[in-house]
Amino acid sequence: MNWIKNKAWIFMILPGVLFLAVFMLIPLCTLLIATFFPNEGTFSLSAYGDIIKSTYFQQVFVRSLKLSILSTLICAVLGYPAAYYIAKFSKNKGMLMAFAVFPMFTSPVIRSFSWMVILGKKGIVNKLLVSAGLFAKPQSLLYNEFSITVGFVQLFLPLMILSLIGVLESIPDDLTLAARNLGCTAMETFVKITLPLSVSGLVTGSVLVFTGCITAYTTPQLLGGTDTRVLSTMIYQYAMSLGDWINASVVAVIMIIVTMLISSVFNAVSKKVNPLT
Amino acid sequence: MSLLELRDITAGYDKNVILKNLNLNVEKGELVSLLGPSGCGKTTTLRLIAGFSEPISGNFFFNEKDYTKIPLHKRNFGFVFQSYALFPHMNIYDNVAFGLRQRKVPESEIKTQVMEMLHTVDLDGFEKRLPKEMSGGQRQRVALARAMVINPDLMLFDEPLSNLDAKLRVQMRVEIRKLQQKLGFTAIYVTHDQEECFAISDKVAIMNHGVIEQMDKPAEIYNHPKTEFIARFVGFENFMDLTRTGAGKFETSVGNGITVTDDIPGDKLRACIRPEDIVIESEGADAVNAIRGQINVQTFLGKRTQYNVSTDIGELIVSTAQENVFSVGDNITLSLTPNKIVLIP
Repeated sequence: MNWIKNKAWIFMILPGVLFLAVFMLIPLCTLLIATFFPNEGTFSLSAYGDIIKSTYFQQVFVRSLKLSILSTLICAVLGYPAAYYIAKFSKNKGMLMAFAVFPMFTSPVIRSFSWMVILGKKGIVNKLLVSAGLFAKPQSLLYNEFSITVGFVQLFLPLMILSLIGVLESIPDDLTLAARNLGCTAMETFVKITLPLSVSGLVTGSVLVFTGCITAYTTPQLLGGTDTRVLSTMIYQYAMSLGDWINASVVAVIMIIVTMLISSVFNAVSKKVNPLT
Repeated sequence: MSLLELRDITAGYDKNVILKNLNLNVEKGELVSLLGPSGCGKTTTLRLIAGFSEPISGNFFFNEKDYTKIPLHKRNFGFVFQSYALFPHMNIYDNVAFGLRQRKVPESEIKTQVMEMLHTVDLDGFEKRLPKEMSGGQRQRVALARAMVINPDLMLFDEPLSNLDAKLRVQMRVEIRKLQQKLGFTAIYVTHDQEECFAISDKVAIMNHGVIEQMDKPAEIYNHPKTEFIARFVGFENFMDLTRTGAGKFETSVGNGITVTDDIPGDKLRACIRPEDIVIESEGADAVNAIRGQINVQTFLGKRTQYNVSTDIGELIVSTAQENVFSVGDNITLSLTPNKIVLIP
């Protein structure tokens, strides 16, 4: 009986573990194993070698990484002040939170189409640019890295804001007052107290946004078009258009490794800044 | 001029006025307590002095300078929070060194001062610990050290002991008083614990609804409360209206003659007396300031017994060291000790 009591947690996590094992780990391993046997039964790393040497892949890989990191940075810079305001000053927290989350209620497809309308040749942005005299004729704002970044930021900003609100709310006002009382200006207090104590939220948010960006398919597909491929659209291209499942799997494995690497870098940074996290 | 002067301070949030024309003077080297029920404005007063909030009107002078508009980080006041407010991501050494680093003190000098201060609060060897690895009492002492190490012009305490258990609380208040006398700092101490406040302070300011009703030495407040609120706060439980009949002579609303030793001017006065200063005697006994009554409730309190006695002037509460002499329903005579009756202007 005691054994069951002490090990009760095993039964609690069992359903989840089983589900993940059957529907995620096994398919993932099959996929991984397949990439090492590109030529029917003989082990070889040639699939990886070939793809890493291809300049097309390198270009897409760098772009994917660049756009994801850039979008994460933009989300952090835009999300922090918003989260700080909502957590510390707003009298109507619930409503502002709802506003922050609201974009998540529509599907990425609809949001991407909206951006196509907004950023198109006859869209509002181009009309403004032209009527303001900044450009003589409408610019092509779509199907490039810019439009993908805009889409990413709008798609994932709520995740950053939500992660930050939680930690910012948990920082007691007494701590900032104590720092001010000991001689810090508001800015110094932010750098020495608020920022280090909220770094865990920043990391959680960044990991969510980054993995979201690098794995997103709809947004880069619709806003990037065929000229601006990223890893996820590349996988689709290999698997669906070219029927090359081995290369699709290789790209998928590389994507997983990169995501895990970046996440652990974020976490290491967070530990360095705040030993509590 | 006093070291600290609050002049006509009015403060509050939005339309909610918490302090009304508050005046307070604190001399150098004094430990002054602000005592009162929750919501009386004591914490607001303290936070205003610290600079955490600004008054709506009025001025705050410190050391003959107008501090009203001086930003909080330039005030050089130590503040001890009820929650301790230690920085959770810094170890004890860095917490205590925080204020000194902010003041650009050389690192070698910081080390000497921090170590010395940690020794003063009896926390040698704890430098590398994180706040979460320490007990409540230890954190409290770190908070003290962090506030004192900057050599503040004024120490402010916001109910610093209310999160500690009873035994530690008594121990810590002695520590704080010792440190205050040893280092000679001026301090303002906010509490709602009457015993703590009387034990620790040079002067006590009792606050109610945003005004200071009386500020005096603890013994003075205990023996000569100036208002009914304060009298109730310091343990006077029996109140009556008296009308003057002569010098030191009064009568109650139903005509009992009452002699009072400490007379004050006025014809119609309110009088109060503590339960332990009323003597309870058998019915008809010849007694000074006699009031007849009947015992309603008897409560055994250990060392003493408390009786609720109904009389013609209302219920009086009497506490006596005798045990089981009287019981519920007995008719008795109460004698109010003349030199223990306090008249309220």
